[in-house]
Amino acid sequence: MRVVHYLNQFFGGLGAEEFAGATPEVREGAVGPGRLLEQLLGEGAKVVKTVVAGDNYAVENLDALAALVVKEVREAGGDLFVAGPCFQAGRYGVAAGAVCAAVQRELGIPAVTGMGLENPGVDLYRRDLYIVDSGGSVAAMREVLSRMAALAHKLLSKQEIGSPAEEGYFAHGLLRDAFVDKTAAERLVEMVYAKATGAPYESELTPTVFPAIPAPPPIADLSRARIAIVTDTGVVPKGNPDKIAPIAATNWGSYDISGVDDLRGEDFEVSHRGYDTRYVTEDPDRAVPVDALREFEKQGVIGKLHDRFVSTSGMVNPLANSRRLGREIAQRLKEEGVDAVVLVSA
Amino acid sequence: MRLTLAIHPIEELRFGEATRLDGTTLAIDQEELRRLLLADGGLESVDLEVVRPGERCRFGAVFDVVEPRAKEPADGADFPGILGPLRLAGRGTTHVLRGAAVSVIQDGSAFGRVIEMSGAAGEASPYSRLHHLVVVPHPRASLPRRALMRALRVASLKAAVYLAKAALGQEASTYEVYECGGPAESATPGVPRLAYIGQIHSFQMVAEPDEPIFYGSNTIGMAPAALHPNEWLDGAIVSSYFNLGVETYFYQNHPIINELYRWQEEGKVLLTGTVATMAASDNRDRERNSMIAAALAKWNLAADAVVLTKYGGGAPHADMGLTARYCEELGIRTVVQVSDMSTDRSAESALLFNYPEVDAIVNVGRGDTLQWVAPEVERVIAASAGAAASLASLERLTAGSVCGVTGQQGLSRLRSFVY
Repeated sequence: MRVVHYLNQFFGGLGAEEFAGATPEVREGAVGPGRLLEQLLGEGAKVVKTVVAGDNYAVENLDALAALVVKEVREAGGDLFVAGPCFQAGRYGVAAGAVCAAVQRELGIPAVTGMGLENPGVDLYRRDLYIVDSGGSVAAMREVLSRMAALAHKLLSKQEIGSPAEEGYFAHGLLRDAFVDKTAAERLVEMVYAKATGAPYESELTPTVFPAIPAPPPIADLSRARIAIVTDTGVVPKGNPDKIAPIAATNWGSYDISGVDDLRGEDFEVSHRGYDTRYVTEDPDRAVPVDALREFEKQGVIGKLHDRFVSTSGMVNPLANSRRLGREIAQRLKEEGVDAVVLVSA
Repeated sequence: MRLTLAIHPIEELRFGEATRLDGTTLAIDQEELRRLLLADGGLESVDLEVVRPGERCRFGAVFDVVEPRAKEPADGADFPGILGPLRLAGRGTTHVLRGAAVSVIQDGSAFGRVIEMSGAAGEASPYSRLHHLVVVPHPRASLPRRALMRALRVASLKAAVYLAKAALGQEASTYEVYECGGPAESATPGVPRLAYIGQIHSFQMVAEPDEPIFYGSNTIGMAPAALHPNEWLDGAIVSSYFNLGVETYFYQNHPIINELYRWQEEGKVLLTGTVATMAASDNRDRERNSMIAAALAKWNLAADAVVLTKYGGGAPHADMGLTARYCEELGIRTVVQVSDMSTDRSAESALLFNYPEVDAIVNVGRGDTLQWVAPEVERVIAASAGAAASLASLERLTAGSVCGVTGQQGLSRLRSFVY
């Protein structure tokens, strides 16, 4: 097994913070913790190359560093790539995550790293990489490296990887189904009993924490504002020109309504599987209220109804899609001079 | 309120001269049953088949599965409000043909769930261990959906009651007693008072005007109702036409209500009651139903903690979350059961609510991720030759497509793990 290892200036033996700007050096064989890694990986394992770079250099030149590392691993005929462990060193973690992700993506060989929970590299790369939980203390080096080595062996021999708790890595945040002995009813009552009596319980899912999005200031004068309709009800022109999927849509469409006072059922269809679409199909204004907003426009309540409405299907969309769709739509409306939107949900 | 289930174990179903329960063998007079099912006029004809546990047989698409049960005539009505007159369900004695089921097939179905009687897929479902009378109704071609579905519903319940009436007047082999004193009962200190809040319909797909779900009502316009747990078990509620893995059989044998009763028998909890609620299709109903369901659990059931389940997919999921939040706000601890909504299998997309206090979650997964090679079958039962051919040619079966493997009533052994 040919192993390539990445270390920062400190673990690579260059020195402390004053060497954080050090440009990458490629050394033959194992350096520092690499020696222990080699030993823990067992017979037949050899750290053939070690790349060492300063933390500041690394985070300021992530792409160049990743390209260099990929090149070195390729030339060395590496079977496995290891970075760190980085513990709580933030810049080191970010660099280790980036080079591991690049090696894995470009060369298709396993990459393993280790970090502490607070390391920003964890949030950035946990979904794509196996990041062993190193904790914060460098004193645990041997233990962390041996878990990284065990995981590496499993990845190399394509064995099934156990749960994050069993193997000691940070959950990728991906769900995998399995049959268990207990029925859901048994699990529910056990859990409710524990929660009711103040005993500890382990939820089978942890709610995601979302950063708050501050609301923009209110529109000062609605009678001068340009208002757009945005909907996730899946209302699209007949034929669904943008082929918006009825479930987990990956795109959105923007459709001309200039000069239209009232949407007619025969001109539209609905691409959405989550609600009874008969009423919207009959009268699309129920989801895209052009009729009501035109009325407001005539009365001067609003300045102008924007000439295009935006539509997608909001049916069980993964957040990754939703975030991107939301950003794209907001960006476009901003460019088109829209002041406010009426969001019509299914 | 006390419900006694008189259990008559069934080890064989067969067609015979007269419908008669002889020990553990039920003989069925096909002609009499057929006449009964055709009497309403909605069906042109009906096929009846008997299927044994473990038989290399597959049938579908399943409209519903019902356990054959019949009330002692003086103790109430069979499926009150649908078949029988409106009488309070959940009291007196009900005869049960345990080990038997009436399974009704429909032609094609949006979800196309099957019952698989053999192989690994069969073993994963309790339905493979039952003796089924498979009813294949052929409705009149001219029927609008509303009348067609009503005909299937009535046929499924009538057949189930008809079979179980053979047990009336016979000594049962065992008697199961379901009794809870309700909210008036005082709990021993340290014993939590528990309730169940279950959705029984989702207005995502609007119920037909005469669709019977709750004591014969279609639930539209209905506010959440506090029910005795026995009412669920004894025919007050049947599955709606649009359902994602809810069968009447598991209302009659409700895994969550049974489990709560089991804990109560062990003296660990006090079951104070249940709330039946609906997932809404607009915000006003959503707030109202969630709020009232939580308030019923608090002020009428005096619950310390509740288990909540949903009915269907996304909107019900969000409504269940909101109901749980209102419960927590009133000081009631909650546990919810979700089937996750992550089309990309990311944990962050699995929940359709985000309330820090609703933090106790059982996740029965998606049901389409685990699958089996479809076992070879010798017999396929479906409503048409086309449907039979497509069932026979199935190569793989997902967990969610096999009745009894996944579902929202607490029977699922599926669990989603975060990796």
